[in-house]
Amino acid sequence: MYELFKNLGGWLTSGAQWSGPDGIAHRLAEHLQYSLLATLVAAVIGLPVGLLIGHTGRGAFLAINLASFGRALPTVGLVVLVFLASGLSMWPVYVALVALAVPSIVTNTYAGMTAVDPDVKDVARGQGMRGHQVLFQVELPLALPLIMTGLRLALIQVVATATIAAYVSFGGLGRYVFDGLAQRDLVQVLGGAVLVAAVAIALDLALSGVQRLLFRHRPAQHA
Amino acid sequence: MNRRTILGGLFAAATVPALTACASGITSLDNEGGAASGGGSSKDGVTIGTANFTENQVLGYLYAAVLAAAGVKVKVRPNLGTREIVFPALKSGDIDLLPEYQGALLTYLAPKAAATEEGEMQNDLTIALPAGLQVLPYGLAEDADAFAVTRETARKYGLASLADLTKLNGRLVLGAAPEVKTRRVGVVGLKEVYGVEFKEFKSLDSSGPLVKGALKKGDVDVANLFTTDTDILDNGWVVLSDPKNLIPGQHIVPLIADRRADSTVRKALARLGNVLTTTQLTELNRQVDKDKKDPEDVANTYARQHGLAR
Amino acid sequence: MTIDWSWISGHTDELTTLAISHLQAALTAVLLGLLISLPLAVVAHRVRPLRGFLLGLSNVLFTIPSIAIFVLLLPISGLTRTTTVIGLTVYTLVVLLRNTVEGLDSVPAKTKEAAKAMGTRPLRTLLTVEFPLALPVIMAGVRIATVMSISLVSVATYIGDGGLGQLFTDGFQRDFPTPVIAGVVLTILLAVVADAALVGVQYLLTPWKRRRA
Repeated sequence: MYELFKNLGGWLTSGAQWSGPDGIAHRLAEHLQYSLLATLVAAVIGLPVGLLIGHTGRGAFLAINLASFGRALPTVGLVVLVFLASGLSMWPVYVALVALAVPSIVTNTYAGMTAVDPDVKDVARGQGMRGHQVLFQVELPLALPLIMTGLRLALIQVVATATIAAYVSFGGLGRYVFDGLAQRDLVQVLGGAVLVAAVAIALDLALSGVQRLLFRHRPAQHA
Repeated sequence: MNRRTILGGLFAAATVPALTACASGITSLDNEGGAASGGGSSKDGVTIGTANFTENQVLGYLYAAVLAAAGVKVKVRPNLGTREIVFPALKSGDIDLLPEYQGALLTYLAPKAAATEEGEMQNDLTIALPAGLQVLPYGLAEDADAFAVTRETARKYGLASLADLTKLNGRLVLGAAPEVKTRRVGVVGLKEVYGVEFKEFKSLDSSGPLVKGALKKGDVDVANLFTTDTDILDNGWVVLSDPKNLIPGQHIVPLIADRRADSTVRKALARLGNVLTTTQLTELNRQVDKDKKDPEDVANTYARQHGLAR
Repeated sequence: MTIDWSWISGHTDELTTLAISHLQAALTAVLLGLLISLPLAVVAHRVRPLRGFLLGLSNVLFTIPSIAIFVLLLPISGLTRTTTVIGLTVYTLVVLLRNTVEGLDSVPAKTKEAAKAMGTRPLRTLLTVEFPLALPVIMAGVRIATVMSISLVSVATYIGDGGLGQLFTDGFQRDFPTPVIAGVVLTILLAVVADAALVGVQYLLTPWKRRRA
């Protein structure tokens, strides 16, 4: 084990390892691209759905159950299935990653919306606010912490799972994990794993920073 | 070896005559281990591992069929991974028997080995193998690595042999399983022996959907395939010749742990090896890959038809 | 993409075996995860300085790709079921630990004081008062961890295990969608059935909740 970690140091810090099409810099960029795009698409799908069912209270049962179905979807199976349907393309990767991220986003957004005190909504309506005004000016800001939790969870899962792109011949940091498996080069596997974890943690910290910034401007709603 | 297996081994040694008399395995005595004084025993069953491609699974189930017919209790663990993963599992005892390929196994164990003739390779293998493992006699059937290009590529650049690839150094993309990047029968040997350098290496799979898909689509120019893959003929791909014998002969050879190698196992596998031909193996692969039959069924049917099993 | 129904009807035995092996791996991991998380959660709940460390550690483990964990375990446990189970257990910790800590946190201080006032010993309070009251939150975690594990088992197909995941690599290699579809459907089915069963378990474990519900 000690040997493994010692070699990891060398692997991570060698200049040659960082450059070129198979270098860490390039793989890192690919990994970020897959993860961020997939999470963005998932947010575009998941946020409106979560907000809508949370706001109207309609379709909640269906959406929440679908979301827990979604959580059970085996990523490997989904990747292979889409691969067999679409051939050698990025589709399998993106479909699987989006399917992975949507449930966390929908359930947390919905949970955030239902956690908003009904009295607050009544007061807002009493002051003559329209439905969409209540949604965007009252419910959304109050639900934001949980919505952000959902986004952060989704992003972490997507970053860890984007490794699978390498299984269907693409890049990203998963390349090191899958190549290391095939070559039984554990230093490479560990290097890939450490980098993935570092990316996940860094992105999570970044999002939590964003979250803190968003809240600093709304001290009134804190109480 | 823990205490129980040592005791088991002693016990087995003491009762060998009695046990060989009832080869059907009706005895329920506790004889695990049984590796007394060099000779192995298959009485407690043999676990067959296979690598992650169709043919290796077909071979694994063929081994299982003939061993079962000889009264050995067998278990097959299909699709375990690459040689780099499966070989250590054999050493550690997770599996006992593995269908291997002479040349590929030899270059894995001794990258500098120069032998290309079957007999020599068999000798070298015996020397190169770590203690506790042995190869049994190799069979008739052969499945070599091949480097193939599409007919269009071959025509466009006038490619017929691996040596021709040097004309295009730094311009072509090679697609192969990830392990080929670090193997001698791969990027390393192509450079050393032929002086071929690729623009890029694309990690794909072992003669599977990725590498074949990529060759069809033009994502890679040269693909590492197996000679027993029917898609080579079906697609009219051109296998580049190997004038400098980089690619060793690849007769199929059973690799087994000493602890399980007894005469029952040896005999059964030798019979199979002397019957199964390359053409037949290619046909069995086709039945699994194209007709979607189970490797197990294909193997059992073959063994029955050739009098290797009932 | 068509389904070859005759393949499915000809492979019911194999599908059943794979499904059982799949479920076994997932459930063993959740059980092990619980055995590890329950005591750790008590520690995290009582010893504030350790809380952040333990929860943070489980979060970091969660960010490591599962396939990497399986591969890195190979020198230790080889190509065995143990490797699969250890790998899966690691991922259950993040949910189980967090939910158990939150469950224990949610027990009102007054309830604990009442137990203390009645002379109940701390360990007994923990087992007979705190855990039962924390049960709904813990069970919510167990349900998520179970569904997650069931969906993750198939990753172990890359190291020759993986239950229904074997169908994915098989279908992939042979350009054969039927086993893949069967595998995906069965995985979801297992998750739904296991989840429903856990709801039943929770119902049985919390008789005091029934009248209110």
